[in-house]
Amino acid sequence: MTDSEIPPAPESGALDTEDLLVDPRLLEILVCPLGKGPLEYDRERRELVSRQAGLAYPIRDGVPIMLIDEARRLDEPDPGQGEPAA
Amino acid sequence: MTVFDRPLVRRHRERAAAGWDGFDFLVRETADRLVDRLDDITRRFPVALDLGCHGGEVGRVLNGRGGIETLIQADLSDGMARRAAANGVGPVMVCDEEALPVGPASLNAILSNLSLHWVNDLPGALLQARQALRPDGLFLACLLGGATLRELRTCLADAELEIAGGLSPRTSPLADVRDVGNLLSRAGFALPTADADLITVRYETPLKLWADLRGMGESNAVLARPRGFARRDVMLRAADLYMERHVGPDGRVPATFEVITLTAWAPDPSQPQPLAPGSGRTSLTQVLH
Repeated sequence: MTDSEIPPAPESGALDTEDLLVDPRLLEILVCPLGKGPLEYDRERRELVSRQAGLAYPIRDGVPIMLIDEARRLDEPDPGQGEPAA
Repeated sequence: MTVFDRPLVRRHRERAAAGWDGFDFLVRETADRLVDRLDDITRRFPVALDLGCHGGEVGRVLNGRGGIETLIQADLSDGMARRAAANGVGPVMVCDEEALPVGPASLNAILSNLSLHWVNDLPGALLQARQALRPDGLFLACLLGGATLRELRTCLADAELEIAGGLSPRTSPLADVRDVGNLLSRAGFALPTADADLITVRYETPLKLWADLRGMGESNAVLARPRGFARRDVMLRAADLYMERHVGPDGRVPATFEVITLTAWAPDPSQPQPLAPGSGRTSLTQVLH
């Protein structure tokens, strides 16, 4: 997370809406739903990462998807951008 | 115990989100009632969560009322959360009531409008809600109770017995108002109350009611439900029985929805505390003589 440029450079054919950032008021209260561990905001990949649970929760159009079965497992290879490019 | 098929609950809600206008009347009605209750509490709630926000009805009714500065809207369905986002009230997220992604003591209030009756582990969901509240935080929720669709339940059961010679779980089990009150205490809430209201909706035909239930995303999601389409002959017979038994002078049939409202607070030393049993200093006999 060394890239401090705003907005993050869009990947292949990304929509403008994907540049939406997560509301800071949400970031203040969110934890991992599995075990309630802390989350890191990976702005570049648009994910909220729980190292403790080994899961990364996708952020779509600025909306965090905090569902365990929608999360990417960190020990698995990243399938592209984690979601199909719209 | 796992009763509900949560991925199916989610799919029902996603489907409902696509055509939500026209099917949101019950949720809008209960949102009004819920916010009325909030109005009665003269207290400020800087950060509140609307848990199971549907299309953002509570946020729309609130519109700055109720002493809430930031309303976070959350739903199990992505489609519903996006609809809620359109009301511009506050940030949205997708989450599951059974695994609340909210840190301890981070909210001043949790509101929930007609969502918690789809939760498998209601005690667990209430416990997580209580832990997410700050001391003296408010929990205010409504959910469907056991008297909901009582007309439909008996007609479906009788039709199935008649045609198939047995029963299968075609409608969801729902909570009883006394049980839910007890669950609040068990989850560690202070000053819990639970009460029930009946809302009657009148339909031209039972088939219209079934279409509405689908539209609301409230179709049966019991894990043990009969798979595949419901048997047409059973459904038609149930519709006939429903008309026979319940049709009113206006030619319509009633459908009852029982709405249980829960109010409770995260414990705080400033709240009224009961005295320890046996700590009384005045004998009742002295008072009564």
